[in-house]
Amino acid sequence: MERLIITVAVLPLISALFIQLFAGQFGRSIVKVSVAVTTIGFLLSIVTLALALTGSSPEAMSLAGDKGIILFDPLGTLLAAIIMGISLIVHLYSVRYMAEEAAYGQFFVLLDLMTAALLFMVVAGDLITLVISWYLVGVLLYFLLGQDTRSQIAYRFAFWTLITYRIGDLPLILAAALLFNAYDTWSLTTIFAEISANPYAHQVFGLPLTEVVAVLVGLAAFARSAQFLLHTWLPYTMDGPTPVSALMHAGIVNAGGFLINRFAPVFIHSGDVLNWIFIVGLITAVFGSLLMLTQNDIKKALGYSTMGQMGFMIMECGIGAFSLAIYHMFAHGVFKGTMFLSAGSVINDARHDDGVPKDELYTFAVEKQPNQARQPWLLMAAITLIVPLVILVLAHLLIAEDYFQKQGAVVLLFFGWVTGAQLIFATYRMRSQNIWRLVGLSVLSLVVVVLGYVFISHAFDLFLYPDEAFRAQLYAAASFDLLRFDVLVVMTTLIIVLGWLMTYYSEQNGVRRAQRSKRLWLNFYALISREFYVSDIYTRLSRTILALSGRLNVWLRWL
Amino acid sequence: MSDIVLLVLAGIFLPLFPMSMVFNAVIDKTSNALMRSVIFVVWPLCGVVLVSNLTMAQPIWLLPLVLFTSTLYAVRILTLRDVTQWTGFLATSLWALLWIPVMHETSAEMLYGYAVSMALPLMLLVTLSAGLEKRFGAAYTDLYGGLARTIPRFSGVLVVVIVAAVATPVFPTFFILFDIIVETIATEPAISTVLLFNWLLWSWAGARLVQGLIVGRASQVKILDMAKPTVALYAITLIALAAGGIYMGAEIL
Repeated sequence: MERLIITVAVLPLISALFIQLFAGQFGRSIVKVSVAVTTIGFLLSIVTLALALTGSSPEAMSLAGDKGIILFDPLGTLLAAIIMGISLIVHLYSVRYMAEEAAYGQFFVLLDLMTAALLFMVVAGDLITLVISWYLVGVLLYFLLGQDTRSQIAYRFAFWTLITYRIGDLPLILAAALLFNAYDTWSLTTIFAEISANPYAHQVFGLPLTEVVAVLVGLAAFARSAQFLLHTWLPYTMDGPTPVSALMHAGIVNAGGFLINRFAPVFIHSGDVLNWIFIVGLITAVFGSLLMLTQNDIKKALGYSTMGQMGFMIMECGIGAFSLAIYHMFAHGVFKGTMFLSAGSVINDARHDDGVPKDELYTFAVEKQPNQARQPWLLMAAITLIVPLVILVLAHLLIAEDYFQKQGAVVLLFFGWVTGAQLIFATYRMRSQNIWRLVGLSVLSLVVVVLGYVFISHAFDLFLYPDEAFRAQLYAAASFDLLRFDVLVVMTTLIIVLGWLMTYYSEQNGVRRAQRSKRLWLNFYALISREFYVSDIYTRLSRTILALSGRLNVWLRWL
Repeated sequence: MSDIVLLVLAGIFLPLFPMSMVFNAVIDKTSNALMRSVIFVVWPLCGVVLVSNLTMAQPIWLLPLVLFTSTLYAVRILTLRDVTQWTGFLATSLWALLWIPVMHETSAEMLYGYAVSMALPLMLLVTLSAGLEKRFGAAYTDLYGGLARTIPRFSGVLVVVIVAAVATPVFPTFFILFDIIVETIATEPAISTVLLFNWLLWSWAGARLVQGLIVGRASQVKILDMAKPTVALYAITLIALAAGGIYMGAEIL
């Protein structure tokens, strides 16, 4: 079985080498080799996943002692199948989409190398293989984003990606070095076994090693998954080819969630680190969504949407729902990949017909005309608040009765409830011939989404972390101090309720409010439209370093 | 020869600031491309020979000077536009770090291996720099650009060589730096921190070099691209270098 997964990982390498060597002889048709090899790789990855699903126990195959280990475990096999699936779609799409490009063959070489690097990353069973593949993903992405060598802009933003990824490589290298120093092995399985046996056996810089490593792994994940302050590259990399954007948003950017999952045995003994990861994820989700809503460039809006989703994924890890983050990664990957790959067709169709039906949704969402004749607000408020809560509670009770004992579950329920309430709240304000039909359909869609989410995430939980005690440990490790947890929930609730009240108030007193708080509003809008000045600060910082470099060279006479 | 003289000489060949200026002046004054390539390989080897003969205890200021030199040149490299000079500064920043294995009493054989492995990609880069000078009269970034379209084979080789020079896996410099970090992280975290910072600067400088050369519109003037046998020769060298890197990684880590 482990040979199967090695074959899956090595196939793209062979394809890349073949195309590089024989592109001159076979011309452009050689890319069919890449597509064929990726198809075979995808099928083999499905077979491997099926074997893992049918209960084959995790195995490892080593190429050189405790280095070059390929791990056949549920996380690796599942992600290998997802990567191969997305890669296959991107390959198929690129055959025609990239046909006019001068470096057509080279693009497929890079695509194959990227697929291989991603595969080695998810099946790496040792720290060296993990660090190398982690590093190479950033380098390859730089060249994929800079596929159009005529475009200075594409390269400028590809560089932003590269440098952020390199910033993320450094903590992972440090974590690997610290773990090797402590356990004298590169094998992840051995290290995790020793950590489980004696979690606090090693100290570094006066702190438990597990905490330091968890912080470093968390930082590496933040850079890769565009968490706030390390996010600036993501919305600006749209000048790369569309298939690369799809691959990046559907797969590569999710690597942070994978890394945290891979180091799950470390995070169990990491003190408050998961709490901080939750907070970073929360901030990213909020800021990403906020920035997405204020963009007038649809591509940048998509970029910020991904940032918000990544924040949510990291947040899920922060509350101990590790497997849910993987499910999120998969679902978001499919969703965002589809959006990017269909973007061209949508734009083309929209040139002839915008395709927007002039129905109640249009008048509400586009013309911004909310319903004037509304149902009694008390009744609607009750439906808005109670219905989503009942659906969520019942769905989760079907999974496990003690579900509500876990803080993480409560946080997720809270978010689910707010989202559901928001959906029905929006419905209430819509202009409709039959409001009850609309509410009914909204509730039905909410039921479908919630049930799907609950059951599939539960299935992911059982597959990725079959040991119930381990799952409980993950949730326990992510638990907040009760007082802090309550304060956080109350604060978040207040902010959301305040938001709703402000919406209501602004609708009632729109003109007066505008006059009174126009200045404040404009300042706030300026802040958001400049994306909180994060990119500007980085640009200023890099210019300062370059100026210093130039001055030093002049002073030292270029020697 | 007294140890002080030996130390100063070693500071010239495994460059330490301000003796490092000697190496960069030599590179600057050497116009013959072949001679420059030879210097890039021989220079650090001379340094290893000298430090192998040092018998005195290493002075307390040596480590700070090593880290300062490496960082100074890593920062300075960011604004260089001349490819040969760029390579010389990168060599200075990298070779200064060879003092760290020396301080950790790494065997002379291993040091020779480190020196050669670090020097080879740099040697390839100065050879390519000579190729640019031959074609365009100067090997400068942001002067002509668009090499990816003008001379695609040459650009392909150039990019891979730059990638190898800035310590990207699976080339040997990556494993050497990784090994230094593993050796020092627990006892001397400052070394690892400085090294990682410099590593970031090298990547930044490498990206600036790539962008300044290969990005842009193709030249209207027909320029002779690299011959296919030469490409094959470079490819074989780079593959051997990568294979050597993997072997070295398996041995030292």
